Amino acid sequence: MIAFEAVSHRYGAVEALREVSLEVPSGALCVLLGESGSGKSTLLRTVNRLVEPSAGRVTLQGRDVAAIDPQALRRGIGYVIQSVGLFPHRSVAENVATVPRLLGWDRARIEARVDALLAMVGLEPRAYRDRPPATLSGGQAQRVGLARALAADPPVLLMDEPFSALDPGTRRELQAALRRIHAETGKTILLVTHDVEEALALASRVAVMAGGRLVAEGVPAEVFGPGAPDVVRRMVRAGALAFHRLAALDAAAAAAPGPAPGAPLLPAGARLSDALLLMLEHGTGCLALEGDPPRHLTVAGLLGHSAP
Amino acid sequence: MPSPHCPAGRLAGAPALAPLALAAILAPLLLGWISVAPNRLVSPRAASLPGSAPVLAALVLFHLSGLVLLLAAWRPRPFWLAEAAAIGAVLALAATVGLGTAAALPAGSTVARAAPAAGAWLGLLLLALALAAAAVVRGGTPALPLLGALLGLAALGAAGVFDSLSLAREMAGRAADLRGAIAGHLGLSLASLLLALLVAVPLSALAFVRPRLEGAFLAIASGIQVVPSIALFGLLIAPLAALATAFPALRAMGLGGIGPAPAVIGIAAYLVLPLAGGILSGLRVAPDDLLEAARGQGLSPRGVLLGVRLPLGAGVMLGALRLASVQAVGLSTLAALVGGGGLGTLVFQGIGQLATDLILLGVFPILALSLAVDAGLALLARRVAP
Repeated sequence: MIAFEAVSHRYGAVEALREVSLEVPSGALCVLLGESGSGKSTLLRTVNRLVEPSAGRVTLQGRDVAAIDPQALRRGIGYVIQSVGLFPHRSVAENVATVPRLLGWDRARIEARVDALLAMVGLEPRAYRDRPPATLSGGQAQRVGLARALAADPPVLLMDEPFSALDPGTRRELQAALRRIHAETGKTILLVTHDVEEALALASRVAVMAGGRLVAEGVPAEVFGPGAPDVVRRMVRAGALAFHRLAALDAAAAAAPGPAPGAPLLPAGARLSDALLLMLEHGTGCLALEGDPPRHLTVAGLLGHSAP
Repeated sequence: MPSPHCPAGRLAGAPALAPLALAAILAPLLLGWISVAPNRLVSPRAASLPGSAPVLAALVLFHLSGLVLLLAAWRPRPFWLAEAAAIGAVLALAATVGLGTAAALPAGSTVARAAPAAGAWLGLLLLALALAAAAVVRGGTPALPLLGALLGLAALGAAGVFDSLSLAREMAGRAADLRGAIAGHLGLSLASLLLALLVAVPLSALAFVRPRLEGAFLAIASGIQVVPSIALFGLLIAPLAALATAFPALRAMGLGGIGPAPAVIGIAAYLVLPLAGGILSGLRVAPDDLLEAARGQGLSPRGVLLGVRLPLGAGVMLGALRLASVQAVGLSTLAALVGGGGLGTLVFQGIGQLATDLILLGVFPILALSLAVDAGLALLARRVAP
């Protein structure tokens, strides 16, 4: 569990963080959402002490991070940044092995771990292990960045706008990969983004920041509910708040048992926003859900579930 | 010498090649091949090339290589052809002159002197430029092909082709002096480079950690560059002489107002700026986000320096070392002015006696040393930082 207790930080005269208190439960994928200059990256960087708060404290599993040696602390926390920052003079495998090598693992263990991680992030180990980072596409490079962050199996992962520099298609692929890895490993992930859609696609919890303060926090459907603060409304297109809320809700939860012969098929894991779009596309008010036992989703079910 | 990595050079080299080749072929025809003087003190006069069989063979080879070079300038493919032809032309021209002088000297005379005429010298110079231009067209550095040409010339010399040249006679008379001067020159260059490194490395490190010191440090290092080298050597004479008088132990160690000490200190002073500039830029090659990623993975400050900053900056730093080393070889020539020895001794003696051969006897080894140092460090840089 990560806990921020009244954390403040100032850069000269600028107050970047003003008494932010936030608890991120173990195993959560918490998205820090905010516009540029809202303080979200600064807050993230207080966890691995790349930023030292001027007041307040940050604890990790109950331990004050200020009491832990910064290098030891960072080796126990995965860190992914927007520009990836792979070492250009080292191969993909050497990049992934950075932290295990610092921790003094033996060679066989490192090699096995590197191959397992490359496979986990969707890169064929034999094809990518020895490539120099300069030959990778942006999406491949960030997959390697993710593998590097996971290398020593840290319980916590910090991600600072990890997918913001990628094209929309690649971004969705990597978001799907991250969701899968989160589900498989149960890591506590703190992810910074300014993209509302990304926040809704990934978050199990959302914390919205503005002007160095925490302005809203909770499960996405609540934060994007009718009581959403003005900052949240401003971040989404006018009137689109309700639709964005659908993107935070699983379609399966709104479905009713029983088959719907002939109805369009909604893929497993789809959100209510996907369901609504599929209904509009086919001009029908009923969808069949992929999977067993057979279930179906109606307009009434959708509205009933999305009502706050 | 053109910059070996200048991208514009790829385009600039090609059009220069053909006129250079043509001028190199015409120069000896128009301005003469060899000159002969009755003795060392009389100015030489142009002489005609004798028509012996070896001379004619060398002459034919020269024109053939020149022709190939011209054709290669027209169609620069394969890329090595122009450089091979230029090296061939250099060797054939040198052989023509060497064999020609042997045949042209009056039989039995030990005081008569023969030397290449202006046309032959100009031809050799133009061919060296053509060689450099061809290397630039290929996209490489001219140091290696020039070194190849010099090795070829050395082989011809070892075979006795140049024995009748005035330069060779001068060399035979001063073989011991020459060996001593080369060793002294190498010693001066190496000592000043080491002294400069001893100053530049810690001061650059300090300036890197405390950026406020950097301005002052680099200002002093650049300020030294403005002082003419002879003036700097002269300025060092008085304080070093005073030091040696005050501390006789220093004098016993060889420190004094004249001799190698002021030369080494003066040369090192000039090398500090290129070295420090290279070290500081090298330390800054790694971009900020990469350093942030490295720190975020838990690399210690030492790990960031050794694992990220130094490997990424190695190319820039080796480039600075290469520049400073070539500069050290060149500047060591001036050590002779304060009694520091080295090949400059021969050059300045030659200037004093108006003896061109003696000047060349000093200049050629300096040239060869510079090229060897440049080529060696270029090879090293390519291995360390491809």
